[in-house]
Amino acid sequence: MAAPDDFWERSKTPAYTPVRRVKPGESPQTPVEKEPDPELGHDPVDPRRYTSREFMRLEWQRMWTKVWLLGGRELDIPNPGDYIATEIGAESVLVVRQKDGGVRGFYNVCQHRGNRLSECGVGSTGESQSFKCAYHHWEYELDGSFRRIPDIDTFPQGRPSHGLCEVKCDTWGGFVWFSLAESPPPLLDYLGPIPQHLEPYNLNRMVQTRDITVEWDCNWKASVDAFNESYHVQGIHPQLLYYLHDLDIQIDCYERHSRYLIPFGTLSPRVRRPPGIPEPIKTIMKAAGMDPADYDEPIANIRRDVQKHKRAYGKTHGKDYSRLNDDQLTDDYHYLIFPNLSLNVHADDFWIFRQRPHPTDPDRMFYDIMTFELVPEGAEWPRRAVHKRWKHGEKGIGLVLDQDAANLPGVQAGMHSKGFRGLWLGKQELRIRHFHKVLDDYIYGPDGKPADAP
Amino acid sequence: MDLGLRGKKAIVTGATKGIGRAIVELLATEGADVGLCARTEDEVEATVRALKQHGVNAVGEAVNVRDGEAYKAWLERTVAALGGCDIFVPNVSAGGGFDSEKNWIKNFEVDVLHTVRGCETLMPHLEKSGNGSIVIISSTNALETFGVPQGFNAMKAALITYAKQLSQHVGKKGVRVNSIAPGPIYFEGGAWELIKGTMAKLFDYALKQIPSGRMGTPEEVARIVAFVASPAGSLMTGSNIVADNGFTKRVQF
Repeated sequence: MAAPDDFWERSKTPAYTPVRRVKPGESPQTPVEKEPDPELGHDPVDPRRYTSREFMRLEWQRMWTKVWLLGGRELDIPNPGDYIATEIGAESVLVVRQKDGGVRGFYNVCQHRGNRLSECGVGSTGESQSFKCAYHHWEYELDGSFRRIPDIDTFPQGRPSHGLCEVKCDTWGGFVWFSLAESPPPLLDYLGPIPQHLEPYNLNRMVQTRDITVEWDCNWKASVDAFNESYHVQGIHPQLLYYLHDLDIQIDCYERHSRYLIPFGTLSPRVRRPPGIPEPIKTIMKAAGMDPADYDEPIANIRRDVQKHKRAYGKTHGKDYSRLNDDQLTDDYHYLIFPNLSLNVHADDFWIFRQRPHPTDPDRMFYDIMTFELVPEGAEWPRRAVHKRWKHGEKGIGLVLDQDAANLPGVQAGMHSKGFRGLWLGKQELRIRHFHKVLDDYIYGPDGKPADAP
Repeated sequence: MDLGLRGKKAIVTGATKGIGRAIVELLATEGADVGLCARTEDEVEATVRALKQHGVNAVGEAVNVRDGEAYKAWLERTVAALGGCDIFVPNVSAGGGFDSEKNWIKNFEVDVLHTVRGCETLMPHLEKSGNGSIVIISSTNALETFGVPQGFNAMKAALITYAKQLSQHVGKKGVRVNSIAPGPIYFEGGAWELIKGTMAKLFDYALKQIPSGRMGTPEEVARIVAFVASPAGSLMTGSNIVADNGFTKRVQF
C-alpha cells in the first residue's frame, strides 16, 4: 500500500505556464472576462438522473417543454413552403417558412387520426405549398389551417375548430428555434449572453459540411457531460495533447448556459516537447495558410503566430476576422446552450453537437453532428451536406468523436450499477455541475430538491 | 575492454536529447572531453553541467546548424576550447515531413549540409589527431522503404554514400569515417513518443516489424557509436552499421 504522499505525487496536476490570452479590452465584441465561479458544492451527482424513467418524465414535463430548442437553420428553408421537422423526445415539430417570409412552428401531427405529417429532416412542400397527410390526405396550408379534407360532407360534426397545433417559434443568428411551452420567455432573454458572444462569427457565411445523426446507447445527459469538460482529453484523446492545452482553460458559467475557452495549436503540459511540430498542430497551421516546413520557431510560439498570420492574411483569403479577437482565431470557444447544444465555435468553422432524448428509453439518445465551414468571399457556395443517420458503431464519425462515442455505453451501463455511488466531479468539471444545477432549477423549482430526490 | 576514449576530444551536434544526449553522456563517462550544440540554450547549459559531473571538460552553445557561418564559427570555437578534435558525430536532423517541398530543403540543409560542413571544417583537426574518427548518424529509413517518400529518407541515404566516399578520401590521412543506421529509437520527448501519441496505428505497425517487439534506446545506439568512434574500432572505416533490433528485413552481404 503506497503512502498518501506517493498517491499525491502520482496524481497531482502537472505544473504549467499559463498561455497568453487576450485581455478584456482586446476583444471587439465577444466578452472574454472570466465569470466568477458559482458555488455549487461538492456533492456527488445522483446516477438515477441518467437511468430513471420517472426522472425522464419530469425532465419532459418540467424542462424540455419549457425551454427553447434548436429547430434548424434559416438558410435551409429559404422559400415559402420549405420546412424542417425535428424529433424531440416523443414529439415532432415542424418549422415552416411562410409566404410572408416569417417562420411558424407546428406539432407535426395530423388532426384527423394523429399521423405524422412529415418525416424528420429538411424538406419542401414544393408546388403544392401544403402539407398533406399520407393516410387520408387531409391537407393543410403553410399556416396550419385546413386546405382540404376529403369527403368533408361525411363528417356531421364538420371540421376541427383548429388546424395544426401551433408551437412557439422565433429566429436568432440565422437559426430557427421553437419552444413547446405555452408562454416561453422571449427567445433573446432565454439565450442570455449567447447572441453577443456569437454574433461576430460569420455564421451566415458558413456552409453545412456534415449533417449526421447517430443513435447512442446512453442517456442524453451523459453525452452533454462528455463535451462539457476537458479533463477526459488525457484519458481518451491522447493525440489531442499534441493539439490543445487541456489544463489552462477558462470556464464561465452564466445563468443557464456556460462556456469554456480552450487554447488550440499548443502542447498540453502533460506531454514532453517533441522534436518536430506534431501533425495535429500542422493541420492548424496549414488551414491558416502557413507552411509548417517553413516554420523555425519553437512550438510554443505557433499559436500566437497562427493568430498573427490569420490577422494579416484573412482578407486576402476572403475571410473577415475583423470582429473577432486574436484568441478566437485559434482557440475553441465552446458553449453549452442549455439544455442540449454543445457548440465548438472557431473563426473558420463551427460545430453543433445536439443531444436529443429518446422518446421512451433513458438509456438511449440521438446525437446530431452539424458542422459548418466559412465560405470565403467570392467563392462559390458549395452544396450543403446531405443528412445521414445510423446507429453507434455502424460507421466512424472521425477519430475524436469515435473515442467519445466508444466510451459512453460503458458510462451509461455504470449508471445502473449498485457499485456506483455518484458522479465525483472536480473543478475541471464545473460546467457539468452547473448544467445539473440548471436542470434541477427546472425540475425542482424554487423550493429546491427534496432530500431523497435524484 | 578499454575503448581508449580517455582524454579524447569529441564534438557532437544536437546533443541535449535522445541519441545525441546518450552519446555525449557515454563519451563523458568514458573520459572524453565533449563539445556540443543544440537549439535551446537552457537545455545546452543543463547538458554541459551534467557532463561535467563526470570530471571531463564540456562546452556547449545554442546553435542553429542551418546557419552555415554561425555553425562553422562555433565548431572552430569548440576545437579551441577543447584543445583539438578527435571525434565528430554530426547528429542533428530536421526529422520527417511530407507536406511541403520545403522539407527537402530543410533535410538537405540540416541533415546533409551540416554533416558535410562539419566534416570539412573539422578535417584538419581530425587529421592532426592520429585517431580521427567521424560517425555519421543515418537511419534505416535510408535502407528500406518506410512511411512516405520524404526528404528525410533520401537525405539519410545521401549521408551513407557520403560517409563511404569520405572514408576513401581521408583514409590515408588516418581519419576513419563510418555511419550508423538506427531503426526506431524510443525515448521521452522523441519522434516515436510523438508518433505513439498522435499516430497510434503507425506506431503499432512499426513495433510489429521488430521481432522482439521492442524499439531501441538511445543508450544502445550510443554504445555502438562510442565503439566505432573510439580507437578500439580502428579496423572499421567506410562501414554502415545497422542498429535496428531486426526492424529491417533485407539481407546484408
